[in-house]
Amino acid sequence: MSDLDTATAVDPAVDSPLARSRRSTELTLVIMAALITGAAYTITALGTNAEIPPGIIFFVAILLGLLLCAHVVVRLVARGADGTLLPLAALLHGIGFVMIARLDDELAGLQATWSLVAIAAFVATLLVVQRATDLARYSWLFFFGGAFLLLLPLAPGLGVNINGARIWVSLGPINFQPGEFAKIALAIFFASYLADRRELIAASTWRIGPLHLPEPRYIAPIIMAWGFAVVVMVFQKDLGSSLLFFTLFVVMMWVATERLSYLLIGTVLFAAAAYFSWTQFGHVQTRVDIWIDPWADPLDKGYQIIQSLYGLADGGLTGTGLGRGNPGQVPEAQNDFIFSSIAEEWGLIGATGVLMAFILIVGAGLRIALRTDRTFEKLLAVGLTTIVGVQGFIIIAGVIKVVPLTGITLPFVSYGGSSLVANYVLLALLIRLSDSSARRLGELPDDPTPNERWKAWRLSRQLRRAERQAVA
Amino acid sequence: MNRQIRQLAVGLLACYVVLFVALNYWQVGRKPELDARFDNTRQVLREFNRPRGPIVTSDGVVAAVSFPTAPGEPYNYRREYPTDDLLADITGYYTFAFGSTQVERLYGDVLTGTTTEQQVRGLGDLLGGTVETTGTVELAVREDAQEVAKFLLGGRTGSVTVIEPKTGAIRAMYSNPTYDPNTFVNADFDVAEGILTDLQNAEGNPLLAQAYQERYMPGSTFKVITTGIGLESGLITLDNTFADEREWVPPQTTDPIQNYNGSLCGGDLATVFARSCNIPFAQIATLLGPEAMVEGTKAWGIGEELPIDLPRPAASTFGNTDNLSEELPLLAIRGFGQSEVQMVPLHMAMVAGAIANGGQMMKPYAVQATYDQSGRTLDRTSPEVWKTPVSATTAEIEKQLMIGVAERGTASCCIALEGGIPVAAKTGTAQLGDPSNPGLSHAWIIAFAPADNPQYAVSVVLTNAQSTPDVAVTGGRLAGPIAKGILDFLLTGAGSQPVTPAVPGDGT
Repeated sequence: MSDLDTATAVDPAVDSPLARSRRSTELTLVIMAALITGAAYTITALGTNAEIPPGIIFFVAILLGLLLCAHVVVRLVARGADGTLLPLAALLHGIGFVMIARLDDELAGLQATWSLVAIAAFVATLLVVQRATDLARYSWLFFFGGAFLLLLPLAPGLGVNINGARIWVSLGPINFQPGEFAKIALAIFFASYLADRRELIAASTWRIGPLHLPEPRYIAPIIMAWGFAVVVMVFQKDLGSSLLFFTLFVVMMWVATERLSYLLIGTVLFAAAAYFSWTQFGHVQTRVDIWIDPWADPLDKGYQIIQSLYGLADGGLTGTGLGRGNPGQVPEAQNDFIFSSIAEEWGLIGATGVLMAFILIVGAGLRIALRTDRTFEKLLAVGLTTIVGVQGFIIIAGVIKVVPLTGITLPFVSYGGSSLVANYVLLALLIRLSDSSARRLGELPDDPTPNERWKAWRLSRQLRRAERQAVA
Repeated sequence: MNRQIRQLAVGLLACYVVLFVALNYWQVGRKPELDARFDNTRQVLREFNRPRGPIVTSDGVVAAVSFPTAPGEPYNYRREYPTDDLLADITGYYTFAFGSTQVERLYGDVLTGTTTEQQVRGLGDLLGGTVETTGTVELAVREDAQEVAKFLLGGRTGSVTVIEPKTGAIRAMYSNPTYDPNTFVNADFDVAEGILTDLQNAEGNPLLAQAYQERYMPGSTFKVITTGIGLESGLITLDNTFADEREWVPPQTTDPIQNYNGSLCGGDLATVFARSCNIPFAQIATLLGPEAMVEGTKAWGIGEELPIDLPRPAASTFGNTDNLSEELPLLAIRGFGQSEVQMVPLHMAMVAGAIANGGQMMKPYAVQATYDQSGRTLDRTSPEVWKTPVSATTAEIEKQLMIGVAERGTASCCIALEGGIPVAAKTGTAQLGDPSNPGLSHAWIIAFAPADNPQYAVSVVLTNAQSTPDVAVTGGRLAGPIAKGILDFLLTGAGSQPVTPAVPGDGT
């Protein structure tokens, strides 16, 4: 309660020192992320072809420009937000870009364009979503939107099969993975739905034998959303995303109801589904077989993971040096396997840095969930953080043979426009949640948003007009 | 809900800790095992895709060079050897799947520019615009001398080695059979494997640089060493005379030793040396005794790997010496270079070099300098003394003995140089003692010239040479002309002209 006591003492006219210090932290860290990226880019180019990249000044300038643009927007419309999220994302994004540029010039150009779009999406999200609670109002829209996005790749003429998975949509020259956005939409829906009905669901008044279950009508939409996601994923052969949705659903149910049984039931359900798909689907069996012994088929099915492991070993503690390894030996190195490329060239030390960046993002995300006093925001922060944290874990664990490999991108790091844009949208939402809770905690004055000011201005004009008419 | 959120935080943290542990497992724990797996090409690939500098001879001919390949080729560079098989013994080869040999192997870090010095210089150059750090290796070997050596051997098995007595610089070192690295270095794995397997199984082992990686029975050329040990001990002087004998029975046996062809041979030391009688040197070895002979041969570097700057050199040997005092007849025979004595051809050139150089045997070197990407010298080989087997006085005496061989002895037929340049030599005919084929011998000669101011020391060996009823194999007749040919070329022929200085780092 001391927070609130001090908060009341803050003079609204004076800017909050807390917000100011957060923003200067963010500015410093963002500049550092840009410098690290610039240095890594230079060293990698030196390592690859012994040349200082000709456009290095230009590169750093653009990079810094983009990040500063994002920072300035945060300063303007979310100045109370956590100051570490944007720099952490920028660092991961930068490391990923350097690695993609080192693997493939052409993809680097595309990724640079996508980076621009991603930062634009970040800014747009912050500008559009000025109050986190606004999102809750449209929860059903997000439900249907998410479902639509998930189904989109199955539509004939639109969906494309790439590497055996039908998760792509092709619109003219642009390919994108709608699933990346669907997960955010569904997280918003889950958060809003559970926030409204968590007591009802937790009450578990419906009894079947020894089991206490929530009333079917309360839980049905969630089961639907979840089942929908899983079924679609199975048809699209996207195991990684399927696993991610499962986890997202179970974690949000557990946190919302505060009942451990949901976590346990979820785990059992997952194990059953995993076993079922293992018996039914050849591609799942293959994944598991490769995981158990990649050397059983070293030149074909096991090739990718074996090359990944050789890359890890070659990197060792300190790495082969930037640009001095052979990450190109791993097929799809720029995509799912980007982490093993980083571990090869940056070594255990560099790879641990990436792990720590993810841990810090998870920490910052969950701190937002802890600080906010609104159930919807708590659940949304939990959901969004779970997406980043679990997705990072699934793919990293896959490429270093901790769990069977499931194709999924490494947030912020992997090549891929949809993934990058979606993750920056997710980041903007977390920052918005962080700012909202800071304002409610009184850490900075809760000024009206530009949108509210506009409405207020219109209202006052109408009032004045009404007054004038009244006078007249 | 906050309790669950904290538990979630702990859970996710635990997941990432698992990842950290797994990373340690792969990157540290299992690194040695994974690196060593046969199908792991990372380490080779890393080096293979780097630019690699050229190897040039001391007369400026490119012996090995890399060219960038067209995009889409499996490797970024292809290695070529413009001199084909001429310098293969020295450059060696550089392959993706089968490793590398000789200079390519030993100087790999200089060629790819990964030595610390090159890396540091490379950083400095960055500011000036040049950034390539590949190095150039300059051989001491001359391409022209090498060509003459190959021509003189004319396809016969054996080797020609030329060193500078004063420095140890190897100016020529060619041996038959050899191989052309171009046939397999850029070939597909299967093709390359087939060619290399064939080369490994081929007679005479073409992949070996026989001149420094093989050893042969030296025959009478070894008498230079026996005489040297005798003179150093003081037990033998120029005044010693040896009786004219056809046969001599050493101690502990009844089996007599004969001179070459069973001839009658004797006289003072200079005479028996020039005529290459066997009995006197058997007697000298017996007189010195096993201990002095074994110690003496050690002083000449026998039993030690040659200190050459190339990988896997052979060591000459005096044979098994465990029971030599019980086996004096063997000691006697070894005194004139037969039985178990085996000498590396390069070592024999060094023996001649030691006599030419006042008793100092220099370390032989095949690489005389290395340069960085801008042509600045990284390292220049400085001559070093390896052994001092004899004093300057003894060396002078032996030089006179060897001049005698050339002027009126076993080499007089064949070694007289153009322009009357004085030359010193010693021949050898090592009979391999194959009962079914008594005519099979190694024909040797070692020589240096000009005798009054030695510039070059040579060793020539024709291995497994077959005597015919018309022509008996002798070192003088077979090897002599080769030694003369190469010395003439170097002292008075085209090769005596100043050579074009090498231009390292010319943009490759």
